[in-house]
Amino acid sequence: MTYVLSATQTSSRLGAVIRIPPGVILAFAIIALVIGWSIAPGLFTGFDPAVGVPAQKLLGPSLDHWFGTDHLGRDLYARVVHGTASSVSSAFIAVAIGLFAGGLIGLAAGFLGGWTDIVLARLVDILLAIPRFLLAVIIVTALGFHTLNAAVATGIWEVAVFARVMRAEVIKTRQATFVEAAFLAGGSRWHILLRHVLPNASRSVLPLAVLHFGLSILVIAGLAFLGYGDPPPASDWGLLIATGKNYLKWPWLVYAPALVTIATVLSVNRISRWLRKTD
Amino acid sequence: MAPQDRLIPAFSRAPSSPLQGYQTARPPLLDVADLCVAYGRREVVSNAGFRLERGRSLALIGESGSGKSTIARAILRLLPAEARASGHVAFEGQEVLSLPERRFRPLRGRAIGFVPQDPGHALNPVRTIGAQALEAAARLDSGVHDKAARKAHVLDIFAQVGLDQPQRVFDSYPHQLSGGMLQRVLIGLAVLPRPALLVADEPTSALDVTIQKRILDLLSRLREDLDIALLLITHDLAIAAERADRLVVLKDGRIQEEGRTAAVFAAPASAYARKLQGDVPALNPDRYRPLKDRAARQRAETAAGHDKIIVSGMTKRFLVDGRSLTAVDDVSFKVAAGTTHALVGESGSGKTTTIRLLLGLEQADEGEITIAGHRLRAGDRTSMRAVWRQLQLVYQNPFTSLDPSWTVERLVREPLDRFGIGERAERDERVRAALASVRLSEDLLSRRPGALSGGQRQRVAIARALVLKPDVIVLDEPTSALDVSVQAEIVEVLLSLQAELGLTYLFVSHDLALVRQLAETVSVMRHGRIIEDGRVAEIFDQPREAYTRTLLASIPSGASRNALLTPLETEPGRAAARVEVLA
Amino acid sequence: MRHAYLSFAGKRLAQAAVVILLAYVFTFIVVSILPGDPVTNVLRNPQNGFSEEEIQSIIAAQGLDRPVLVQLWSSLSSFLTGDLGLSLRSSRPVTTMIAEVLPSTLTLATSALTVALTLAVLIAYGTQFLPKRWGQGLLRGFPSLFLSVPSFVIGLVLIHVFGFKLGLFRVIEPDSAWATFFAAVALGIPVSARIAEVLIANLDQEARQEYAAVARSRGLGQAALFFRHLVKPSLLPVVTVVALSFGELLGDSLITEAVFGRNGVGSLVQRSVATQDLPVLQAVVSLAAAVFVLVNLLADLVYPLLDPRVTLIGPARQSPTKAVETAAPGAAA
Repeated sequence: MTYVLSATQTSSRLGAVIRIPPGVILAFAIIALVIGWSIAPGLFTGFDPAVGVPAQKLLGPSLDHWFGTDHLGRDLYARVVHGTASSVSSAFIAVAIGLFAGGLIGLAAGFLGGWTDIVLARLVDILLAIPRFLLAVIIVTALGFHTLNAAVATGIWEVAVFARVMRAEVIKTRQATFVEAAFLAGGSRWHILLRHVLPNASRSVLPLAVLHFGLSILVIAGLAFLGYGDPPPASDWGLLIATGKNYLKWPWLVYAPALVTIATVLSVNRISRWLRKTD
Repeated sequence: MAPQDRLIPAFSRAPSSPLQGYQTARPPLLDVADLCVAYGRREVVSNAGFRLERGRSLALIGESGSGKSTIARAILRLLPAEARASGHVAFEGQEVLSLPERRFRPLRGRAIGFVPQDPGHALNPVRTIGAQALEAAARLDSGVHDKAARKAHVLDIFAQVGLDQPQRVFDSYPHQLSGGMLQRVLIGLAVLPRPALLVADEPTSALDVTIQKRILDLLSRLREDLDIALLLITHDLAIAAERADRLVVLKDGRIQEEGRTAAVFAAPASAYARKLQGDVPALNPDRYRPLKDRAARQRAETAAGHDKIIVSGMTKRFLVDGRSLTAVDDVSFKVAAGTTHALVGESGSGKTTTIRLLLGLEQADEGEITIAGHRLRAGDRTSMRAVWRQLQLVYQNPFTSLDPSWTVERLVREPLDRFGIGERAERDERVRAALASVRLSEDLLSRRPGALSGGQRQRVAIARALVLKPDVIVLDEPTSALDVSVQAEIVEVLLSLQAELGLTYLFVSHDLALVRQLAETVSVMRHGRIIEDGRVAEIFDQPREAYTRTLLASIPSGASRNALLTPLETEPGRAAARVEVLA
Repeated sequence: MRHAYLSFAGKRLAQAAVVILLAYVFTFIVVSILPGDPVTNVLRNPQNGFSEEEIQSIIAAQGLDRPVLVQLWSSLSSFLTGDLGLSLRSSRPVTTMIAEVLPSTLTLATSALTVALTLAVLIAYGTQFLPKRWGQGLLRGFPSLFLSVPSFVIGLVLIHVFGFKLGLFRVIEPDSAWATFFAAVALGIPVSARIAEVLIANLDQEARQEYAAVARSRGLGQAALFFRHLVKPSLLPVVTVVALSFGELLGDSLITEAVFGRNGVGSLVQRSVATQDLPVLQAVVSLAAAVFVLVNLLADLVYPLLDPRVTLIGPARQSPTKAVETAAPGAAA
């Protein structure tokens, strides 16, 4: 066993900042760009995503049109940029639903145990038994085809995932020696739950949330691809790819939005892996 | 793994380390010189050099991070891929560090055997022991190609290393055997090809004390019978002194001292070896005498004669697989105020359950417990809170007993906050006082446990127990996860606190040498019962029970076996080997 | 031991049955409670052109006029007898409709699983045998890359490259051998990434175990160590991962069938979604859940037979401190 001691807390934090691998820095840069696109798309492109110039239809990528133009002569880059907000924020909503509802269910099941645990665990089992994509499809069917509903539908499966992980983490933490030590120090159940169990159990849930943010982008893109999101002229990434597949002769219509999706998800996954490692 | 850039012809080597003055006609069995091992830019072993002659034994001694295991693995060329080794390691005159893996492999396992530290993880968990033994046997070029003959050979070796039912062991999976039995299997597999050298990396540190002694006896016997040289890696100076001809003392990857055991032992030349020797409980039974006398004088002045802990007739049964198992059986003891009572026993003796009952973490089926005047009512939180104000626990492992997400300040203040003691300023004051009393600097207040060493963490845990100013502190093997020198610091802190504050300790341990240093009274536990109790001095001088004698005999005496053999050490060892297998 | 195994199997079987039933009830509740009434959405939708009499007869046949709980009870009892009801749209038995498209989907799913396992094993074991310098890093990057690519993009790229450019298959013949193969590749690649990720992590972990070093200390070479010691323990957890990835295979086949224009369960779902044909959706979801639960049940039942460490008698109650104390030596048998 070797104990590596850092001189002070600040220097060790500083050290951590310096040691970010270049791949992770690139991933953060890509995510920053994507966030920029979704907050202020107008800053990144001068073209209108909905209005095209018919004379300029199906042009290949060039300096004027970075990703080329589609069958109506609309600038594809502008469509990708303007579609970012709903593609990304819906994944964010899905993860938020999963994180909060699932986290709460997992916390209750893991900490209370007994019948609460049995009932909640069965509920989670049921959700996990239904294939994720199929569940999203029936829920979005029941709610109506809309990107926000797709987000909710994706989020419901995420609830099960986070509940299960949170429950396992809570049970693991609850058995930790330091929790018993807090009990002997006079800590009440609530004190132990909120101050000891929750912070330690959440540690591994954060990288998971990031990972599932990436997965949700993929699922929601899949729903949009099948036409279960906002209808055109919306330009969700999945929808763009779905439109592009009818024009495979002009492959940039598929490849450009696909590469943006892949780069985003890849960056998110890289960050998640890094978070897991630094923890 | 080996540095490819320094291929040195095997026999044209320059004379090795300056530590070695003499030359022999035959090259020594193992000759290590200028050995350096580095992980990236961090050098963990620097210029290590020593020699081991045929049939002799040498111990590498050091604490965590001293590089002793790294040296062992460098010799066997089993270092992880990211480690870089340079220098010379010659085996029977042949340079092996630079040898291609393909040519080194025949040496490994045939001429050099390895006995690992933790037998529980040293065999493939999903294959039977027989399958792994046959695999090892098949690698011997003994001319035996018959599977039945190989198996007979394996069973024969198993019997030789003291396994009573070789066939049953052969058919078992590793998790079905005890640690002691697994270590016998591993030793058997290591000596199967009759190697010239056996490298044993802390072969007993994961085992109970009585089993520890039997395994060391087995190694000594095999060494004599089969004429195998032994390279013993250990943190325990007493074991090394007892079992090795020569010692090499390491610290931070550098050799501090090297020489004949008797010489190093009688007069350590380096400051570090002297300190190490002074810190080993087995070698210094009276080290804390002055502190203990001070505590006794204070006791006499305050005349606090009453008992702080009274346990009578305590029994606890667990239901395991539908059968009732008595973990604690009619246990009674008393601890006088300001004294230390030790609870001694091996794993499964019931000592852990005893303290859990004492702390109200489990409910006793029968019996009464009174702590500092409070009758214990486990399960009733309000009454237990009153008890915990007077009764605190220091856990065995400081790496798990402190919440990793809290700072030292919050950790130490938590009991004050929870019991609602004093105003904010007063609490801050008490936190600082508690830290000062365990000799921790205030700079550490904002650190988290991850940024502390093991010894610092355990002192934080003690400060946390102290901050409530309880009468009684239960110490559950508080130093067993720590190095010897750190252990000595912790013990010193505990004893001076006792002398100053008149604390009463219940000290749980398997280490009898440590118990002799710091306790007044002792109860020896076995199978949930107290088999013998009384004053420490009396029990150590005149043990009544055979089990207590075995425990006492397991304390390494520090005396080299070649020099003197006490009757206690040999005979019960052999006899007890059978007991372990039957148990 | 045998008795313990049987009682464990019985318990897990009962649990699985409960989960399947509850999954059916859950789907029923989702489709009937959530906003959106099938009668007004589907039957009274002028686009579908049902006459008032037809509407009345469908309502009567489906029992849509009865209270929800009664509907649930009757549909649950017919589900238990294997009757999945009638399609709202075409009034044909749902069982027949699923039976028509099931073979195509099964072919796709099994070939995709084969592709996934083959790829995963090649990638994971490749990392153990390729030298560090070249290839290994690339191979280790594969799983995380393929986990970031939507499966429909993989499908489109395959169609573009192998269909359009190389002309290996034509999109209008979705059931040809090549088309099926590439559909299986598109569906299998993300699954293979997940399996390979676990396999690589297991292999790395097993190689770091003390027993691997000790086996090498007995003179075992890299290859012998890998095949005799590391393969089995690294493969064991994969049984569970493969079982879990069945859900992904079933769900994602929906998209893959759409991309490759195959007529399977996925396209049946798509059509039913478009017409809000709830009985069909409900049947498909419940069947998928049943398949998933049964496959995982099988994995759970097989695992204890493969791994000698798993004991089916539940661990005795262990407190944290007790665990520390008993961790090292273990009990003698």
